[in-house]
Amino acid sequence: MLLQLAYRNILRNKRRSLLTVSAMVFSSSMLLLALGVSAGKMGDMLASATEQYHGHLVLSRTGYQPQRDMYAHFAPEDGMIRRILEHPGVRGVSPRLRAFGLLSQDTSTIPVEALGIRPEAEATVTTLQQCIVRGAGFDSSGNGCLLGTGMARKLNVAPGDAIAFVTRGADGSIGNDLLTVKGIFETGNTRNDNQLVLTELPWLQQVTALDSQIHELAIAVRAPMQAAGLARQMRDDFGNDYTLQDWSVFLPEIRDAIIISHVSNSIIMAIFYMATALCIFNTFYMSVMERTREFGVLLALGMRPGQLRAMVLCETLLLGGTAVLAGMALGFCMNWYMQDIGVDLSGHVSPISYGGGTILPRVRAVIEPVRQTGAALMLLLVCPVAGFVPANMAARCVPIKALRGE
Amino acid sequence: MHTSNSLLRALKAMAIMVIMACMTALPQPVRAQGVNLQQLVRQVEEQYNGDSSHITATMHIVTRQWERSITLEGWSLGRELCLTRILEPAKEKGVSTLKADKQVWNYLPKVDRVIKIPPSMMGAPWMGSHITNEDLVKSSHVDLDYALTLEEETADFWRIACTPKTDAAVVWGRIVYTILKDHTIPRDIAYYDDAMVKVRTIRFEDVQHVGDHVLPLRMIVQPSEMPDEQTILQYRTITFDLPLEESFFSLRTLKGK
Amino acid sequence: MTLIELNNITKRYMSGNQSVTAIAGLDLAVRTGEFVVLAGPSGSGKTSVLNLIGGLDRPSSGTMTVAGCQTDMATDRELADFRLNMVGFIFQSYNLIPVLTAAENAEFVLQLQGIPAPIRHARVTELFAELGMEGLQNRRPGDLSGGQQQRVAIIRAIASEPALVLADEATANLDSKSSTDLLEMMRYLNETKGTTFVFSSHDPLVIEQARRVVTLHDGRMVSDTGSRA
Repeated sequence: MLLQLAYRNILRNKRRSLLTVSAMVFSSSMLLLALGVSAGKMGDMLASATEQYHGHLVLSRTGYQPQRDMYAHFAPEDGMIRRILEHPGVRGVSPRLRAFGLLSQDTSTIPVEALGIRPEAEATVTTLQQCIVRGAGFDSSGNGCLLGTGMARKLNVAPGDAIAFVTRGADGSIGNDLLTVKGIFETGNTRNDNQLVLTELPWLQQVTALDSQIHELAIAVRAPMQAAGLARQMRDDFGNDYTLQDWSVFLPEIRDAIIISHVSNSIIMAIFYMATALCIFNTFYMSVMERTREFGVLLALGMRPGQLRAMVLCETLLLGGTAVLAGMALGFCMNWYMQDIGVDLSGHVSPISYGGGTILPRVRAVIEPVRQTGAALMLLLVCPVAGFVPANMAARCVPIKALRGE
Repeated sequence: MHTSNSLLRALKAMAIMVIMACMTALPQPVRAQGVNLQQLVRQVEEQYNGDSSHITATMHIVTRQWERSITLEGWSLGRELCLTRILEPAKEKGVSTLKADKQVWNYLPKVDRVIKIPPSMMGAPWMGSHITNEDLVKSSHVDLDYALTLEEETADFWRIACTPKTDAAVVWGRIVYTILKDHTIPRDIAYYDDAMVKVRTIRFEDVQHVGDHVLPLRMIVQPSEMPDEQTILQYRTITFDLPLEESFFSLRTLKGK
Repeated sequence: MTLIELNNITKRYMSGNQSVTAIAGLDLAVRTGEFVVLAGPSGSGKTSVLNLIGGLDRPSSGTMTVAGCQTDMATDRELADFRLNMVGFIFQSYNLIPVLTAAENAEFVLQLQGIPAPIRHARVTELFAELGMEGLQNRRPGDLSGGQQQRVAIIRAIASEPALVLADEATANLDSKSSTDLLEMMRYLNETKGTTFVFSSHDPLVIEQARRVVTLHDGRMVSDTGSRA
């Protein structure tokens, strides 16, 4: 009965209700779009940072990070990699050995970070091998390497050239050998493009005198934003000799950027909720004021004040609910469009490196069903909160005064 | 940071070879009444720097992870030119380092390449290390870049403190020489960083007559933060005043051709 | 059986800074099945008395019992329930709920009482037929004439078969034909169903129809005809 009355009351002033609803539909769909685009930007940034280099989780000997002590190496036990891969949240695992040294060609010598990898395993964790702009990938030669455009320019090398790498061996010897450039990658990330050289794992193990040893297992997970939680789950499997860290440890700037983005999203949401609340409050304040006499009649006929309050709250919920549903439909449609198609800005803006990640010149949305639906459904809470004051005004009508229209 | 640290570590062996080579020289025993500190330090710094020299030596390096010995030979001409070559172990035989005009080159026979140490690697301080790359270039110029004061004088030794001159681009915050009056040979040299924390000590031992010179033939580099690590240089042979030309200290010689 | 009993009732209210006495020491008893008109000029206190009887207001002093409920002592909630279950209201300006159809308006009180829909429909349909309102059930109040609206209001007031129906100047907005029809209808209901009616009116037509006329002046009773046959 209350619902029916509420429904009829909303339809009574169609124009006002339509205006209120369309304002809410517009703003809630825009809110969803803003959240989607923000998630898209953060996702891009996180993907570029983690999927170009770190991976989402890194398992290393306790004490390896952050100084990257070359002696904190380990030989992965039998089945260790397989066990990690069997975890449902894990997408890929890549064993890596890291060595710092010099790369030299003719009169140019630059300090570099060499990452010894197994190409096919690394491809399940990072996209470096997909970023090759010249040359091909690793082949069967064993001493191939991939390096960044910046490094190639400084060394003045092209695919096919042989370059010398020198580093310190784990036994104190001077590790040095020739590498053949197989490909040159461009990630847009200055650090990777200028300092990183990928070699094959066995080659680097031999140069550094660390046979069958690695420094870390880089792990890609299915839900990067939840990597920290997964790390907590998996940590116990490895004991104290190992440390499993998530990307936020290696990329604090990205973590902070995401936190800041969540905060700024919250502020946007708060502003939006506030505006919506005012909109609803205004609509229902007017509506209640206009209906004082009618409330008097309802009270005289025996309706309880609580029922009257519930009726007005029902009206706010009905109006808000309709608006939220429509706004969600529209917002998710826009996000779908922005997810699948997006807007390419590469003609106008170049990529920006920040905190180990890259902000790509495109506007793209990511649908985060839970977060975004939650943000929209919060509105259903906002409605009765905003409607509470008008509803209470209605409930507190004194019948004889209300009947006189006071 | 990781790169430079590790790189410096990678260069450690070579760096020590070079400094050792630079320290072959002619001692000039001086017992002046009024002590000329600059001259004293210079004499210590140059006591191994004759007009020219040839040495063979064994370097024993102890680190927490490994321990090894390297045999090498070296040539020097004046303060600025020196060349070293590893003789043993076989794996590194022929690895050579050339210091000329404040620049350092390495030659790696395995890949047949000459690598010039980049400027960014030259001045970087080496936390807890025995030595820095800068040492290769500047260590023999303490008498010019630092202001010297006589801190202590006993019947046996002078203790001279060196603090950097304001405009000098130097690595150490303070260097303290303890020089034995007898033959004017160093007993030890302590190196401090900018915060006046002692970083390392070089001790000199095994004083011997070499021809008409008196020289400490053993040099022990002791990093202060890592008491279980050290590098010991033991001179095997020293020959002074060889007929070496400047052209000897070339990339061509470096490559052993 | 006494349905309404007012003992020395006084009602004062503030109008601006002045205390106005609307009812001054009124004693009134109405028995079940009476058809009473409160007469008197404007401002004589008729509406105030109706509001008190109907549980829309409480007296400033005095005691009163209506249909077994001591309304001067009741809480708001008790008064709401009292109004719902004991009293039917008919207003001067009909006061139908504009968003509901005629039938829905008529059923409204039954709905509040929680009477199941089939029973509601049946009872209201019967009343619509009885009052000659057939075919108008689905119209909204805006589409009905004043007389039709007031009939719907009457159906609303009596559908739940309350002990008491209060009508405040119920005919004031109607032409004389409609007024007469309406009064006849209420007389009919009073006689056939025994519903107690208390009117406020200064309409001679109404006063003529009443079996008992209580005349008020300045909040005091100046005459009471008592029930006439």
